[in-house]
Amino acid sequence: MNESREALLQRLQTQALQIRRNVWRAVRAGGSGHVGGSSSAADILAALYFYRMNLRPKEPKWPDRDRFVLSKGHANAALGPVLAQAGFIDDAIIDRFYGYESPFGMHPDIKLHGVEMCTGALGHGLAIAMGMALGARIQKQSFQTYVMIGDGELHEGSNWEAAMTAAHYRLANLTAIIDANKISQSGRVADIVGVEPLADKWRAFGWAVREIDGHDMGQIVDALDALPFDGERPSALIANTVKGKGVSFAENTYLWHSNNVNDEIYAKAMAELGAR
Amino acid sequence: MTTATASDWRAKSANQTRLAFGQALLELGAREPRTVVLSADTQDLLGIRGYIERYADRFVEVGIAEQNLIGIASGLATTGLRPYACGYAPFITARSMEQVRNDVAYANQRVVIGAAASGISLGVAGGTHHALEDLALMRSFPNMTVIVPADVDEAYKATLATLDIDGPVYMRLGGRVEEPAVTDPAAPFKLGKAVQMRAGNDVAVIACGALVELAVRASEALEREGIKARVLNMHTIKPLDRDAILAAAAETRGIVTAEEHHLTGGLGGAVAELLAQERPTRMRMVGMPDAFAMVGPTVKLRAKYGMSAEGIAAACREVLRAR
Repeated sequence: MNESREALLQRLQTQALQIRRNVWRAVRAGGSGHVGGSSSAADILAALYFYRMNLRPKEPKWPDRDRFVLSKGHANAALGPVLAQAGFIDDAIIDRFYGYESPFGMHPDIKLHGVEMCTGALGHGLAIAMGMALGARIQKQSFQTYVMIGDGELHEGSNWEAAMTAAHYRLANLTAIIDANKISQSGRVADIVGVEPLADKWRAFGWAVREIDGHDMGQIVDALDALPFDGERPSALIANTVKGKGVSFAENTYLWHSNNVNDEIYAKAMAELGAR
Repeated sequence: MTTATASDWRAKSANQTRLAFGQALLELGAREPRTVVLSADTQDLLGIRGYIERYADRFVEVGIAEQNLIGIASGLATTGLRPYACGYAPFITARSMEQVRNDVAYANQRVVIGAAASGISLGVAGGTHHALEDLALMRSFPNMTVIVPADVDEAYKATLATLDIDGPVYMRLGGRVEEPAVTDPAAPFKLGKAVQMRAGNDVAVIACGALVELAVRASEALEREGIKARVLNMHTIKPLDRDAILAAAAETRGIVTAEEHHLTGGLGGAVAELLAQERPTRMRMVGMPDAFAMVGPTVKLRAKYGMSAEGIAAACREVLRAR
């Protein structure tokens, strides 16, 4: 059964909207959470998990599954819902965000089905993902490895160690997605310590680079379809995004990097996300 | 399949545990096809050129980048491979400590860290290249196994034994200084089980690494004075051999620990933590005082800071005198 492009984009947009609603549902359950970076990542996560990646949610340790590492682990409020929507974990876990003995906390926990690595200390994911990609090469497996990194996270120097090494090993089975929402915990990344020009930096480190609007599902799908961008180099997909995307009062402000969410704020957010 | 004869690997180890580790990796490459060796520009330091020559497709050089080294090793381990990450003890622990804690220990990945040039084994290199806090760091992590071989035979056997350890391992190795043979080549390596090197019920010396041989010499010297000093080779710092320590405390009049490490948080600390709770015992601790070591040849430096047969013997006499 062939899904038309129009139907595909429509389906992925609906799934991304569902992720955003679930982000707010999780942070309401937890009382607070990283709405900003979770919402900026939602469209890309939808395209990865519900279109691009080769997964068996009922067999989470399937050796040939594609790997995804959420290096910007504070966006776990989005990853949990993605794993639930994909069928790795029970939907009810979303309501246990920050709960006592919950497997769904602020940052990904490797004990939760579908989570490939416990991340959240920034600057770790790229090296780990590179190890996975190398593991595929050494064991002659064809799985692909994706890692999502925040633009502010690129302040961590360890990213550049790994970027240099992945290019040296010509890991075309590795894709780094930069969720460039332009804002970190204390303010605009450009004001904290500038990271631009991002595309030039990745290119200079030996990566094949493509830049897109990270909320335009057509552009996201086209970019994922084009992977690897170059058969000899790892791919860097720079996705320009909006922090807090989808809810006007949370968009484009460091105040919603992480914030408290009560029932009233939740209701306002859900109204904007079209939920009844 | 065995690739190396005993005389071959022993000769190539040249009485240095760091090289015995590299020789054991060559053997592991043959025994376990999932073995992968990683280097942080430390191919000669760990003696792994033989491994690289034979198993080039299961070798990863990451350059002078220890954080990268540990992260990649963790990622490799998640795919079912068995990574051995080689580096300098001072850098592979302190520089990449967060990667070791999160990506390896917290994620409980089967990564073996081969840490050469520990303690003041690179004495002439100065304080930037000494690792006198690595045991404290590594043993504080849940899931981590910490091993300190005393000589090349023990290093070789302990490295092979990592095949059966289902979790992360820190293997503390020496530098470019000879570690005289002291262990029984015929004895199997038993993880977490101290080896009694000398019997005695007056005082017990619990030592690890290069200090084991010095403790044996101290015990021999003390015997000439009529003092019977038991010597335990505590090659596994974690999990600690509680039974051997509690028995030594019960059967002697005092405990002396000896290690090439700061007196905070290492073997002495581990023994003291146990005894303070289970059987308060008079103790003396031989090791690096709360100072950065000066530059100098390793053996002379060790002696300056009390890490010598004489220093251990003096600590034994003191613990027997004290009331």
